[in-house]
Amino acid sequence: MTLLEGRGLSKRFGGVTALDQVSFSVEEGTIVALIGPNGAGKTTLFNLVAGALKPDAGQILFAGEEITGLTANVTCRRGLARTFQVTRPFATMTCLENVAVAVVNSPRSRANGTWRLSAHECLKAVGLGDLAHIEARHLNVVQKKRLEIARALATRPKLLMLDEVLGGLNTQEIGQAVDFIRSLRDEHHLTVFWIEHVMGAIMQAAEKIIVLDQGRRLMEGSPEEVVKDSRVIQAYLGD
Amino acid sequence: MTDRRFFVILFVAVGLLSLLPLGLGVYHLHVMIVSLFYVMMASSWNLLAGYTGQVSFAHAAFAGIGAYTSGILAAKFGLNPWIGVFIGTILAALIGLGMGILCLRMGGIYLSLTTLGFSEILRIVITNEYEITRGTMGLQVPGLVADYSKPAYFYIMLGGAMLTLIVLYKLIYSDIGLNFRAVQNDERAAASLGVDVVRMRVLAFTVSSALAGMAGGLYGHYLLLITPEIPSLDQQFLVLSMTVIGGMGSFLGPIIGAISLEIFSEYIRAYGEYHVLVFGLVALVVARFAPNGLMGLAEHRLRGRRKASRTVSAAAG
Repeated sequence: MTLLEGRGLSKRFGGVTALDQVSFSVEEGTIVALIGPNGAGKTTLFNLVAGALKPDAGQILFAGEEITGLTANVTCRRGLARTFQVTRPFATMTCLENVAVAVVNSPRSRANGTWRLSAHECLKAVGLGDLAHIEARHLNVVQKKRLEIARALATRPKLLMLDEVLGGLNTQEIGQAVDFIRSLRDEHHLTVFWIEHVMGAIMQAAEKIIVLDQGRRLMEGSPEEVVKDSRVIQAYLGD
Repeated sequence: MTDRRFFVILFVAVGLLSLLPLGLGVYHLHVMIVSLFYVMMASSWNLLAGYTGQVSFAHAAFAGIGAYTSGILAAKFGLNPWIGVFIGTILAALIGLGMGILCLRMGGIYLSLTTLGFSEILRIVITNEYEITRGTMGLQVPGLVADYSKPAYFYIMLGGAMLTLIVLYKLIYSDIGLNFRAVQNDERAAASLGVDVVRMRVLAFTVSSALAGMAGGLYGHYLLLITPEIPSLDQQFLVLSMTVIGGMGSFLGPIIGAISLEIFSEYIRAYGEYHVLVFGLVALVVARFAPNGLMGLAEHRLRGRRKASRTVSAAAG
């Protein structure tokens, strides 16, 4: 079943066309990767889906309902959570408070009550349990990325959108992170939509890869299909 | 701070303060009453500037709305001043809500400019609508109590300040307060986690305006003469300096800033016009050496000492 679907999405910034009639789908319970060279429009696509930007044309459907043009806080409440490529922690708040913001605003978490507990659980899940009472500004880059994931999880999403969460990790840590994201999908019945530059991780984890290039969808397929495709190789390596 | 600890501290402080009229003369009691007015003003302005990052210059204007609403109703229509203060508070809240919806989407410097403009317009209207407000001559209004007495007003203002602080505390240390701080830190991140940013800002603006309206209403009926001085920018900047010097974004900061600066300004009153200069110098020194205000300084000291003692004990062990 399709959880997220984009139909003919376009976005222009002044004279620059960041996205040009892009259509795609993300099936429920899968890990779908979004890749492409720098400037391909990956983060713009995320911003359109999450409601941070409004598309100039096209439609977005989430769980069977149209969410085109809804603001970020509304899409979040519908069950769509995202992390930011450049992390945006609430610097003067503790890690626990950072996560608590997500918890108190989530209609799904609230029903469970006792938000402190679930905020703690989310921090523990990403390995920040011991830093719960440290202000977020004191975290290093990798910890800030983890905090982003903890906050996103705390909204109890159906769809988790990750924007380059592996940057700055070493090979071993990447392996752990991939296992972690897989376990999230399996244990919490999440669907993961994932922008990533680390191809090794994508090849291991993703069931489907969508390739963007210069604002257009270049192709969509399994990891094996994508690496063999001459258009993809050309887009990354040039002629 | 836990709920219980806050209320214990608050009631002990109020209990101690309510002994003051026994020992203080009329003049000192007056200074305390004015201080309490500024505690209300600075604390409620702090909700905006310190907790949601909206620098409004209309806070004194909202106090003016409260004071003039209640004053005009009492002086022209003979309404009970208590009911007048209540209506003034509601009106300040409604105008705050309207302004909030109109201009909070702008945010940043545009919000500051709009509120600055609003404040000046209000002052000009009040000054020129002589028939209704008696302009710079001032509007004579009845008092809140039948027999005018400083101790009675001291207790009224103390009650008002207590109410203000309880409302602020309940708000700041609730889920909504968490959202306020998230909005102040990073609007986009807050929105991505489900926070309705515009609604939070409008809410903070409305509550803060209402509290300023109440403070202004009570103060006006204490002064018995309401002048355009209450909604003036001078007043606004005084409230601003009290909050900044005390410590913006901390709960205690504005309280300490308001009381200490009011008392301080009484001491330097003797220097006439120069007292503005002294005030500016103090603000400069604080901005340079304690950018987080007196509370920031105290916290830093406290933390430093704790760290030092830990190092010592670690070395000893």
